[in-house]
Amino acid sequence: MNNTVMIWIVLPVLMGIALSFVRRWQRLYHWLSMLLPLLLTGLAFIFSSDLALDLAGRRFVLADSLTVLGRTIQITADQLGMVGLLYFLCFLWNVVRRLFPVSQWFGSLSLVVTGLWVLVQFLNPFIYSAVVIELIALLSVPLLSPRGTPAKSGIIRFLSMQTIALPLILLSGWMVSGIETSPSAESLVLRGALLVSLGFVIWAGIFPLHSWLPMLTEESQPLVSTFLLTMMQLGLVFFFLKFFNQYGWLRNLPQMNLSLKWIGALCILAAGLIAAFQSNLNRLLGYLFMAEVGYTLLSIALRGAGGLEVLAMTLLPRSLGFWMMGFSLSMLQQAADRHLLTLENLRGYLWRYPASSVLLLFGILNLTGMPLFGLYPSKHILWNLLPIDTLPLSLLVAVGVLGMIVFFLRLFDTFIHQTPGSAAESASETKTETVSLIVSVVIIVAIMFVSGLFPSLLSAPTQNILISFQNLMR
Amino acid sequence: MNSLLLNVALYLGLFAALLNLVRRQWTLNLIALVVQILCLFPMLDAILPIQLAVIQPFTGVMVTVILYLTLVSVGGIEPINLRKKPTSGEVFRTLAGLLLLALLRAFIPNLQSEVFQGTPNQLLFFSMGLIVLGILQLGTIREPLYLAIGIFTFLSGFQLLYNALDYSFLLEALLVTLNLLLAIVGAFFIVKNAESEP
Repeated sequence: MNNTVMIWIVLPVLMGIALSFVRRWQRLYHWLSMLLPLLLTGLAFIFSSDLALDLAGRRFVLADSLTVLGRTIQITADQLGMVGLLYFLCFLWNVVRRLFPVSQWFGSLSLVVTGLWVLVQFLNPFIYSAVVIELIALLSVPLLSPRGTPAKSGIIRFLSMQTIALPLILLSGWMVSGIETSPSAESLVLRGALLVSLGFVIWAGIFPLHSWLPMLTEESQPLVSTFLLTMMQLGLVFFFLKFFNQYGWLRNLPQMNLSLKWIGALCILAAGLIAAFQSNLNRLLGYLFMAEVGYTLLSIALRGAGGLEVLAMTLLPRSLGFWMMGFSLSMLQQAADRHLLTLENLRGYLWRYPASSVLLLFGILNLTGMPLFGLYPSKHILWNLLPIDTLPLSLLVAVGVLGMIVFFLRLFDTFIHQTPGSAAESASETKTETVSLIVSVVIIVAIMFVSGLFPSLLSAPTQNILISFQNLMR
Repeated sequence: MNSLLLNVALYLGLFAALLNLVRRQWTLNLIALVVQILCLFPMLDAILPIQLAVIQPFTGVMVTVILYLTLVSVGGIEPINLRKKPTSGEVFRTLAGLLLLALLRAFIPNLQSEVFQGTPNQLLFFSMGLIVLGILQLGTIREPLYLAIGIFTFLSGFQLLYNALDYSFLLEALLVTLNLLLAIVGAFFIVKNAESEP
């Protein structure tokens, strides 16, 4: 048991499976699904500087690798920050899970999924992690499409896309296995880079292969979709950085950075433009994810100018932003007593459900990167890094941001204007927001503002998270 | 003799995959799936020791059994109706599948010489055939029930190809887990569909 792999991969997966047997004891199930990831987060941060710990006169030393079927899984001390972040997010989503009608499997499967995302980062050879990502996609099915609701086309497309990406990544690994020793193999390098890029484009829902993303967020419960997509986004970013770190031929390709910049900017543009005309809030969530993928790609492409430091800065605020969106959309769903949240049926909600509405509005402003909010400092740096390169890229990003602002204004207009008769309905409204809910919303909004004013508050815990990618950080 | 057996397995396996793409009758689909799975064995036997060659077909049979038992429990097993007239969708899928296989057959020599030099011709055609038919299945279905068969066909084609390229015990174990989980997800979809029907 004194092994990092056992503690942060094997144990959570087994505990997640074991938790599914205590589902009928709701209170116990809830507390365990909340406290286990918190415990793993705490342990990860305790051991993140050294795998040895002196406690009560005893010395605990953890081994950092485990061999399974001839292959090694290794988690070193400097990688535990990454692990801690993933489990912290699992904890955060499990805290509010019980407030909403999510799948009863969420508590146990969220722990298994987090354990598997950790495995994705540390499996050697790392291309085999592609199979683990497919396993995660399959495990997500009961959460995204729970029993009692018909399975729709979004889940089919999601599974199809995740499956199609798997061979691309595995084949790329096989194809380029000898490339490091024969750097003249230019066609092999291009083929390998194409396969890897296409695999990640399909996996992450990058424009123009993003259609499953809004479909999935439209069909599933917002808290569930934000959890799975946030974990996926983080997991894929770390995995992509691992590719970049490991494969010199990939990161040194002259066209790679330029391609990443354009793909990133196009993602932000497409997400913003579509969002501007969007009337469905569930689908908007998908476009917000797409825009954030765009910003991530821009950060990786601008790594020579400090992009990776910006990326590390955004990891926690961005995840909190999605948590906030999932929380507020779930609250509105519950308040409106309907699954689909369209602009037409949210008229005058600011007066009826002020806390939920304000949280949603602030959530959108935060993810758009407006001043005073948590994501503003990092996005501001990234926007400033852009003009150094090319003006068209900056224009694409600016139009994308403008699109998101247009959507925000439309939503704000909807929220403040009541339809005739809805004022009376509002007055006779029986479902009101509780004091505890209003207090929670005030605390969340305050954290967002404080992190915008003092960026180091949320960026400090993750500033060394990418340190293990030594070839990139040099 | 060996080459004849491989050719029989190749064309029978592709025919079964095509049948799964075209027809929407569970009993027929499960039989075709078993045939497709069993046809993998001669191909795998040609490149791997027999102990390793049986893993993928054995897993495939287990997947089919899980789907069969689920269908029995929801009353989805019906007698096969071979006289049913083909619909326009079935005709389209047949033609699209045949066209893709013909194109693939034409490009296999190039693919073999350019990318997969060490892979036997029949194995390459069979695996790529399963991959393209699987993708076509995934692209043309609306019913989540057939998603499992589409993904399974796609993955079995890829697994066959990858076994010829680079065999690894860990990867094999992960792929076996993936296939079994896929069967459970397929069963989940079947139960969900049965529950939501009036």
